[in-house]
Amino acid sequence: MHLSRRTLGKLSLAALAPLGLAACSGQSNLEGGASGSDKPIVTTYNGSGAGFTKNFNPHSASVLSMVQGMIFEPLFYFNPLNAIDADPVPQLGESYSWNEDGTALTVTVRSGVTWSDGTPFTAKDVAFTFNRIKDTPALNGSGKAPSAEATDDATVVITYPAPSFVEGPNALGRTWIIPEHRFADVADLATDANEEPVGTGPFVLSDFTAESYLLGANESYWEEGKPAIGGVRVISLSGNQSATDKWLAGEIDYMSTAIPDLDTHVANNPDLSYTNTGTSQAALFAAANPELGCEGPQTDVAVRQALYYGMDREQLSKLAFFDLGTDISPAFALPERDKEFIDPSIELAPWNADPAKAEQILQDAGYAKGGDGIYAKDGVRVSMTVSCPTGWTDFVTALDTLKQQYSQIGIELIPQQVSVNEWNDAKSKGTFQLVIDSVGQGPAPDPFYPYHTFFGTDSTVPVGENGNPYQNSSRFSDPDVDAALEVAAGTDDPEVKKQQYFIIQKKIVEAMPYIPLLIGSSLTEYNSSKVTGWPTAENLYAYPMSWSAPDNAQVLKTVTPA
Amino acid sequence: MTTKPNTAAMAVSAQRRRLPRFLTPTLMVGGGIVVLITLFGLIAPFFVADPNAVDNMGMQPPSAQHWLGTTQTGQDVLAQLAWATRGSLTVGIIVAVMALFLSAFFGILGGYLGGWLDEAFSLFTNVVLILPGLPLMIVIGSYVEQRGLILIAVVLAITSWAAAARVLRSQTLSIRGRDYVQASKIAGERPWRIIAVEILPNLLPVMSSSFVFALVSAILGEAGLSFIGLGVVGTHTWGSMLFYAQNGQALTLGGWWWFVPPGAMIAALGGGLSLINFSIDGIINPRLRTAPAAARTARHAQKEAAAA
Amino acid sequence: MHIARKLGFYLVALWAAVTLNFFIPRALPGSPVDAVLAKLALRGPVDPGTRHAIEVMLGADDQGSIIEQYFQYLGNLLRGDLGTTVTYFPAPVTEVIGQALPWTLVLVGLSTCVTFLLGVGLGTVAGWRRGTWLDSLIPATTILQSVPYFWLALLFVYAFAVNLRLFPISGGYDVTLVRPALDYPFLSNAVYYAFLPALTIVLSSLGGWLLGMRNMMVSTLSEDYILTAEAKGLSPRRIMLTYAARNAVLPSVSGFAISLGFVVSGSIVVESVFSYPGIGYTMLQAVNNNDYALMQGLFLIITVAVLGANLVVDLLYGVIDPRTRARG
Repeated sequence: MHLSRRTLGKLSLAALAPLGLAACSGQSNLEGGASGSDKPIVTTYNGSGAGFTKNFNPHSASVLSMVQGMIFEPLFYFNPLNAIDADPVPQLGESYSWNEDGTALTVTVRSGVTWSDGTPFTAKDVAFTFNRIKDTPALNGSGKAPSAEATDDATVVITYPAPSFVEGPNALGRTWIIPEHRFADVADLATDANEEPVGTGPFVLSDFTAESYLLGANESYWEEGKPAIGGVRVISLSGNQSATDKWLAGEIDYMSTAIPDLDTHVANNPDLSYTNTGTSQAALFAAANPELGCEGPQTDVAVRQALYYGMDREQLSKLAFFDLGTDISPAFALPERDKEFIDPSIELAPWNADPAKAEQILQDAGYAKGGDGIYAKDGVRVSMTVSCPTGWTDFVTALDTLKQQYSQIGIELIPQQVSVNEWNDAKSKGTFQLVIDSVGQGPAPDPFYPYHTFFGTDSTVPVGENGNPYQNSSRFSDPDVDAALEVAAGTDDPEVKKQQYFIIQKKIVEAMPYIPLLIGSSLTEYNSSKVTGWPTAENLYAYPMSWSAPDNAQVLKTVTPA
Repeated sequence: MTTKPNTAAMAVSAQRRRLPRFLTPTLMVGGGIVVLITLFGLIAPFFVADPNAVDNMGMQPPSAQHWLGTTQTGQDVLAQLAWATRGSLTVGIIVAVMALFLSAFFGILGGYLGGWLDEAFSLFTNVVLILPGLPLMIVIGSYVEQRGLILIAVVLAITSWAAAARVLRSQTLSIRGRDYVQASKIAGERPWRIIAVEILPNLLPVMSSSFVFALVSAILGEAGLSFIGLGVVGTHTWGSMLFYAQNGQALTLGGWWWFVPPGAMIAALGGGLSLINFSIDGIINPRLRTAPAAARTARHAQKEAAAA
Repeated sequence: MHIARKLGFYLVALWAAVTLNFFIPRALPGSPVDAVLAKLALRGPVDPGTRHAIEVMLGADDQGSIIEQYFQYLGNLLRGDLGTTVTYFPAPVTEVIGQALPWTLVLVGLSTCVTFLLGVGLGTVAGWRRGTWLDSLIPATTILQSVPYFWLALLFVYAFAVNLRLFPISGGYDVTLVRPALDYPFLSNAVYYAFLPALTIVLSSLGGWLLGMRNMMVSTLSEDYILTAEAKGLSPRRIMLTYAARNAVLPSVSGFAISLGFVVSGSIVVESVFSYPGIGYTMLQAVNNNDYALMQGLFLIITVAVLGANLVVDLLYGVIDPRTRARG
C-alpha cells in the first residue's frame, strides 16, 4: 500500500506542524554532542521489549544482553557453525590441554592484557572466577563445578571431580572471566548487579538510561586494531514490526529478527543484507514412551513414522518459515556442519510428502481407515492434539499446514494454542501428545549435547514429575543410547565419538521420538551504510545472531567503518 | 402522574402522518450498516471456503478467485473475515447484554433504594471498577484448557459493567429527588413500579448509549486483547485477524487487503451502532430529534426578522 | 461526619482491592522461575542447573503458607516495599514503576485531559446549537472512536513515520540525541516523540465524551427549569453554561474520574505499538513474565489512583449537584 505522490503531497502540507516540531527537537543534550566520536556507532536490537535496568554481572541469570563476551570475555571462542574437530579461537586463553583421564584442564592465558581500569589481567583472575562459581550455590546447582588454581601468572589448571571432556567447552567458551580485585568483596555472585563493570572485553560501558545503553570501544583492548567501530548502542522496542520499520529506515544496523519477505527488502536497498544461519531443528515432540507414562496414539512408533513421511516440508518451509527452511536429518545432527558425523546410511528427511508410504506404514501396523476417513486401531483413532505457544506465528502456521497435510492421509491433528507457561508445563510434566518445538544446540558444535539433552535417560523423568521443559520431554529412554553417550563423554577423540554417534543415530531414527520438520531460519539483518564486514553466507567467521553471546562480540569487534 | 410523555407525544404527532415516526434517515443508514454486517456474519460463513485452509499462493491481492486476496499463508481473507464477523459479533452481544443487566441491577437498584444496600452495591461496583481486566482474563483463562469465545466474553462483561453502573447510580440519585417521583412515593406506589415507570424511561438514553458503548468497547477490547496475544483462541475474530496480519507484517509488505478490512469492519459497525443510538435517543427524547429542525427554523426566522 | 463516612468507605474498598490484588496474581498459571527459564532458553542453551539457580535467586524455594505470605505482603505494603521484579531483576518494583510512571502520566494523562475538555466543550456546543453543521461532528467522531486504537496507531506509523518520515517510528525520545533531563533539548524531543501516540489517543477517544455530553445536554435542555430560564430572558450563553451544561456534565465528570484513574494503567496497546516506555507497556511485560511483584505494584498504583479520583469526585459531586447530598 504505497501512497501516491499526490496524496503524499497533500498529507505533507497538513504535516507542516510536525515538521516544525521535528526541527525544534533536533538539539542534543549529550556531552560532546550527538555523535561523540568520529567512528560510527552500531545500533542494535536484541529482542528486549521492556526497558533496561543495570545488570552487568555476566554470571547473573538476568544479565543485560551485550555484556557476556562484549565486556567480559571467555577463554576461547567456539563458533557453533564449525565442525567438532575445528579448533576454537583463542580469547583470554592461548592454548589448553586435557590430562589423560579428562579430570584436569590446563590453560595458558594471554599475557599483556589489562582490565579496563588499568589493572593487569593474570591467571589468578581466571582461577578466582572458577572458584567463585564453585562456591556460589546458585551457580553450582549440580555441585559438579570445577575448581581452579593458578600455577603461575600465565597458567591455570582447572580440576574436575570426574572425567569431564564434555564440560570443557562450558569452561573454555562460556565462563566469563571476572576481575578478582572487583569481585572479591561481592557477597553473592549470582545476584550482584555489578553496576560499574570492569572487563577485558572489546567494549566498555559508556552511557546508560532505562531506554538504551551505549557500549564504547575499549581503547586499550588487547587485540591490535580492534574494535574498529566507535561503539554499540542497544535499544529496546516492542516487537518485530517496530524493529523491521527501524531497520528499513536505516536506524538499526544489526539485529536478529524474523522478517517475512526479506529478499524484497534487500533488493530495494543495497545497504541492507541478511544471513540465514539456522541451527535449530524444528520438530514435533511426541510424548513417546508409554513405559514412563505417556499416553496417546503417538506412543506407537508406526504413527510417528507416518507423521514423518506424511509431511510436505517444501510447503511447510514456504508457508511457515518464509521459504528459508533447510534440510534436516532425522539423526538430529546438522547436515552441513556435522556431515562427517552422520551415519552415511541415514538419509535426509524427504523434502516432499510420501502419502502412500505413510499410509502403508499405518496399514502394516494394523491400522484401518474408519468411516470418518481417519485411521484407527482397536477403536483408537489416530487423532492427536499438538500445542504451541499463542502467537508464535511460524509454529501456528506450521501446525495449520500440517493439519491440512495429515488430513489427506487419514491422520487427525488438533492444533492448540496455549500460553508459554502452559506449554512449558506440559513439556516438563509430559502431559501432552505432541508439541512443536526445536531441538537446540549445546555450548559447543558437537551433536553430543543435543543427544544428551534430548535423548538421554538422565535428562528425563516419568510423566507427572517435574522435569526440565527444555530437555528430554519425549521421555525417550534406550540403554544402548545411554551407553553410547557415556563412552562419547569419556573422550575427546572425534573418531571414537563418531562411532558412538552412529549407534545413537540408528536408534533415534528408528524410534523417532522427535519427528523432524526442517531446520528453521535464523535470520540476522545488517545495514552496511555505516559499518561493513558483517558475516556473509560465504564468510561466517562467527555465528551472527545479534542476541547470541559471545558470538555477537566476535562480530562487533571484527566489523569496520564503511 | 408525569406530564412529560404526553407533551412528547403531542410534539411528534405532526410528523407521524408522514412516516412511521421511528424511521428517521439516521436510523435507516445506521440500521442498514448493522443489519448488513450482521447478515454477513450470519450467512457468509456458509458460503465461503475454509478460513484455515492454507495454500501456496500467499499474499495475493484481491482477484476474482479471492475477492479480498489471501494472507501470507494463502488463506482466503474474505472467508476469515466472514467467520471473524460472526465471532466478534457474538462476543460483543454477549458482553453488552450482560453488562447492561449488571449495570442496571447494581446502579439503579442501589441508587434508588439507598441506605446500606446502596453502600454495599457501591462498594462492590468500586472494587470491580478497579479490577484490572487484563490479568483477570488470564487467571480465568488458565482454569480451562483454551481461552474460548464465551469465556472471553464473560470476562469482558464482568470487567466492563461497573462504569455504566456508576453513571446510572448518579443519574438515579438525581432523578429520585424529582417531584413526580416523590409524588408517586407519597402516593404509595411500589418501588419496582416507580423504578420501571418513573425512573427507567428517564435513564433509557443513558442505558442505550451504554449498551452501544459496551457492544463497541467489547469488540474493541477483544481486538486489543487479541492484538497483544491474549485474546480468543480457536475462533476467528476481527482482533485475531489483525493479530495475524500484524505478525505477518501485512502493511510492510503492502498487504492492505489483509490489514484494513478487519479494522474497517469494526469502525463501520461502531459507526452504524452510533447512528442507531442517535435515533433511539430521538425516539425516547423527541427534543433530540425535533430540536435540530426547530432550532434551524428559529434561527431562520430570526435571520428573516433581522433582514426585514 | 459525611466525609468521615466516605473515607471509611474508601478504606474498605482499598483493602478489598489490595486483597484481591494479592490473590489474583497467585492464581496465575506458571511460576516466575519458568518464565525466567523460558527467557534464557531463547538466548541459548540452558544449563540443567540453571533452574535451581534461578529458584535460589528469586527465593522461590523457601515460601511460607499463603496466609503468611499475605500478612507479609500487607506489612511490606505499609513500609512501601513492593518487592523485587523478575523482569528487571534485581531492580525493586518501586524503581521500575517510578521509571515508567512519568511517561504515562504525561502522555496518557495529558491526552485524556485534552480529549475530555475538547469532547465536553464540543458536546456542549453541539447540544446547544443543534441543527447546525456541528451535528455532523458526532457521527464523524463516533466512527473514529470505533476504530481500534492500535489499528489507527499502526496506520499512522505506516503513513506518517515509515513512509513520510514526519515522525519517529517508536520510543519515548531519540536515544542517540538526548538523555532524560529537564532541559529544552530533551523536552522538545520528548514532545516530538509523544505527538503521534497522543494524537491516536485523542482521536480515538474523543467521540465518547462528545456524544455523551451532547445527549445529556439535549436531554437537559428539555427540562422545565431551562424553559423557565429562557422565559426569564436570561442570556443564551448563561443558560447554556450555568443551567444546561452544569447539569448535563455530571455523568461525564463521573466518567472522567474513572478514566483519569485508568490513565495510570496507560493504554497498553498504544504504548505497545509505539514502544513507549510507560506503565501500560510495563504491565504487559509483567503479565508476560509472571512478574507477581511488579504486577501487584502496578495494580496498587492503579487502585490507589482510581479510588483517589473517585473520592475526589464523590466529594465534588455534592458541590456540583446538591441533590446528591440530600439523602432520603
